[in-house]
Parts: sequence; structure tokens; C-alpha cells
Amino acid sequence: MSSVRDALQMAFRLVPWPTETGVRAIGNPDEWSPVLVTGNYDLSVRRVVAALEGLDAWLVVAALEGLDAWLVVAALEGLDAWLVVAPSSGINVWCAASGGHFGTSQVVTALKTSGIAERVRHRRAILPQLAATGVRARDVMRRCGWRTRFGPVRAEDLPAYLDADGKKTDAMRCVSFDARERLEMAVMSGVPAALLAAGLAALVHPPFALPLAGLALIAAIACYGVYDRLPQPRRALFTAGLAASALAITAFSGGGTAALLTAASAAVLLGAGLTFDYSGSTPIEGGSHFEERAWHVVLDKERCESLYTCWEVCPEACFEKPTGEDRRIELAREDRCVRCGACIVQCALDALAFQNDAGDRVPPATIRRYKLNLLGQRKIERTSPGAPA
Amino acid sequence: MALAAVPAPGARVLEIGCGSGAVTERLVERGAQLTVVEQNPEMLRAAQTRLAAKDSGTAVEWLEQTASEVDALGHAAFDAVVLSLVLSEMSASERSFVLRESAQRLAPHGRVVAADEVLPIPRIHAGLFRLLRAPQALAGWLLVGSVSRPLADLPGELERAGLDPRSEERWLAGSLALCVAEIRP
Repeated sequence: MSSVRDALQMAFRLVPWPTETGVRAIGNPDEWSPVLVTGNYDLSVRRVVAALEGLDAWLVVAALEGLDAWLVVAALEGLDAWLVVAPSSGINVWCAASGGHFGTSQVVTALKTSGIAERVRHRRAILPQLAATGVRARDVMRRCGWRTRFGPVRAEDLPAYLDADGKKTDAMRCVSFDARERLEMAVMSGVPAALLAAGLAALVHPPFALPLAGLALIAAIACYGVYDRLPQPRRALFTAGLAASALAITAFSGGGTAALLTAASAAVLLGAGLTFDYSGSTPIEGGSHFEERAWHVVLDKERCESLYTCWEVCPEACFEKPTGEDRRIELAREDRCVRCGACIVQCALDALAFQNDAGDRVPPATIRRYKLNLLGQRKIERTSPGAPA
Repeated sequence: MALAAVPAPGARVLEIGCGSGAVTERLVERGAQLTVVEQNPEMLRAAQTRLAAKDSGTAVEWLEQTASEVDALGHAAFDAVVLSLVLSEMSASERSFVLRESAQRLAPHGRVVAADEVLPIPRIHAGLFRLLRAPQALAGWLLVGSVSRPLADLPGELERAGLDPRSEERWLAGSLALCVAEIRP
């Protein structure tokens, strides 16, 4: 049953899969064992718990990073810890945090009501790094007295992170998009697309329902496998290729004019759908399709006091710690920014903000308060050039 | 609900989770001295706008925070704590914490007034209710993983929080309950 559930959750990852919130003891944790917080994304939590069988740990389930969730299983092997599960509406950490489903309030609630405070004598919790777009560490401290730190992006790095007393290497801080993650994304978007394509085809010309479903799956794999390596305008190229393939399949299976038109329309919709960067933060396109795409992060060095929180939470290593006398952070690789806003949310001194080319600035408070919708759009209040952020 | 919470004008009332302010409005109309807790800033703003339009002249204390933070409010500071359609959105541990802390916030003879979705009695009605509610639950799950769950034993939960349930009224074929529980002497 568990493998069937795994397969279903993998194929239909677009829909939320919530699980019970609360504290899970991994192995035989004691009152000084580490406390890990994650979200109530069912697939992640089940994999963590299954993988940690026979070990000692506390698990506070709050919000997990979706793509790498299953790696938590292997990651915590041999550790004793608590895991606290907080409500994230059954959505993976990065999406949940960026979309306002997993924020400071959810973490505060989980830490206060799960009973973890009665089980440990310390007040330190480790959050997934990708929760930094939604959970503000200093506000968690202010509101419930727990000191939180952002752990590594990938759960598999947790043992090394804990061994190093919470010090992260560059690799621990950065998101990747390797073959396994690309395949998972392809399955996640390809299966619903295939079902939709088959359903539409069955209404018009049943013989090409199966071939078009296959095409949708192949298209999803191609999209996440090679799309970002295509030359510009890659969206048009990808969609045109898809439409040509759909027309060929339809013609080959004996479809008439209506079927050809339907196939071409479905292919265009499929191409647009697959290549649309919904959350605005995937490593493929690096931003939404709205005016937010024109934003870039600006650093006000006068405000910077070298706290390096931005360096700690940036998933693309855009920041660099200086080696000279001036200890203030450098925004050295702004071109890699995916506009997730984590650095802005966390900066205690409001030294960072989004700004467009016209000089319009989005106050950090707005980024902390208003999160992305499914299409990667954010409610904004902009200030004029020169106005205080 | 407002009637149960505000037996006399001037009662000090804590409302946990005001949503868009429908109950808040009634409480103010009855002359409550109101403190409102709401974690969703947009809901809070909507409720404030609603109350501003009424211009009741009563000052409301608005707190943008979670229900789990009511423990920061003063002990014995309220004559009533109102929870309208809030508990069914919480986990069991969160409900237990919030109800326990709400009881601590009550003055002597104070009361908790809770209205929420509940499972009808007997079981066959509960089963039918779940069936009828399925489309709405499915839509919520698909869109936001909504976790609103009808409560199985609201009076029991109030009792376990150290309160003395005094009354329970039900509507909508027994699927909506209003419970009033008083602090134990």
C-alpha cells in the first residue's frame, strides 16, 4: 500500500497531501537532542519516519522542501532528534513558504502547541533553509522564545550540518536541479498533462488519446530535461515542436480537420502550461511572468552591519563575504537571483529590497507580508525612487 | 453567539479568529469591550474596515497574532472568550492548547462561547453529513489542502480544558453547534 501511495503522491504532487502535525520522536531522543521542524507534507514525513526507523530523534513536522523531501530519510540516519510537524497545508516547504502557507505563525504555533517545549530543555530549532522566504527567524524568537536557524537546503546534508555545529558549506546552501529532481518534476507535471490530453482527445478522436497522452509525458520529460538548454526564444521553439509532433501523430492516426485543430490547440496549451514558471522560483526560468520579473535585489550598504543572514539563506549563492577590511556583504552574483525574496525577508536591518529599472522600490515589509500566488504574482506597494525602503 | 457572550453591555470579550468580522460586528453592537486576535492580516484588515464603516464609537483592540499566542494576554482578563468557526481549522494539540489558555484568561464566572462545525449524532447522520460535505472538502483539499474538520466532541474538549460545558445548541441538521462553557468555580 505504501508504494502505491508513494506513486500516487509522486504523480499528483500538484495537489496538497497534508498529514498530522505535532512532534515525532525519532529513535530515543532526550531533552538535549536536536529539534528539526518540517511541514505537514505527507510524502516527506512518511519517508522521513520510515527512513529513521530504529534511530533516535525528535521530528517537529512543519514544512519540508518538496523536491528533496525523500532525502531526509537517508539524511537523518544514525541521529537522535525530534521532528516537529507544523501545518503547511500539505504543500512542500519552498512553495508553502513562498505562497504564505508556511510562515512565522505556523512555526510559532507548532513550537508552542506541539508539546516539544516540555520534552527538551533547550529552545533551539532547525528549519529547512527554503522556509526562509516565509518564516522570519527573529520574529519566531520574539513571539515564542525559540531560537531558530536555517539548516541546509537538502535533508541529506543534515548530518554533516549538525556535525559542523550548524556551519553550512556553499553546496549545503544552494539549490540544485539534478537529473533526479528534473525527473520528479517531469512526472509531477507530465501525469496530469497526459490525463488531460487523453481526456480531451477521447472526446474528439479516441484513437489518438493514447498517443497524445504519451506525447504529453515525453513533452514533460523534454521540458524538464532540455528546455533550459534550448536557445531563445525557447518557449516558442518548444511549443512549435510540440505542436508539430501532435499534428504528425494525429495525421498518422487518421484524424480529420477537427482532430488536427484540436491536437494543435492542445499542444499549444500543453507547451504553454509546461513551460510556465508557476511559482516564480524554479531554477528553469528564475522568476514569474508578471512585472516581478523585472525586479532585482538592491543592497543598501549604508544599512548593512555584516550580519550575513542574506548569505546564509540565499539558495543561489548570490552573496559573498568580503575578505578585505570592509566586512559588509557583497551582492556579487545578482545575475543568479531567482527573486525568492528570502534575503529581504530575513535582513534585520532592511538593507535589501526589490527594485525595478525605473527605480520603484518594494518595501521589505511588503515582501514579508504578501506572498506569491500560484502564478508567481505578488501584491505590492511600491515607493518612489529615493524613498526609504 | 453575541447574546451568549455579552450578557450585559461592557463585558470584556476576547474573540479568537475574527475572519471578516461578522461576529465582531454583533459583539460590538451589543456593547462588548472587545479584543480581537486574528493571524491573517488581510482578514484583520477586512474586519477593521467593516467595523470602521459602522462607526460604533467603541474602541476595539486588534491583535495580529495566532491563537496560540493568547497566553501572552492577561490572566482573568475577560468575561468571555469567543471562538467562531476557528477550532475546526486547528490540529487537536492546537485546540487543546488554545482552549486551556482561553480558560486561563477568564475572570471568575467567565465563559467560553464556541460555535463550529460538528459531526451530527447519531453515526449514520454523521456518515451522511461527511458524504454531503465531500465536494466542498475535496475542493478545499485540491486548492489549498484545507484542513477544516468537523469536531467530534466539542463539549468534551471544553471539559478537558478545565471548563464546565453548560449548554449545546445545534442547527443545520446537527452539523453546527454553539457551546457555552463556564469556568469551574
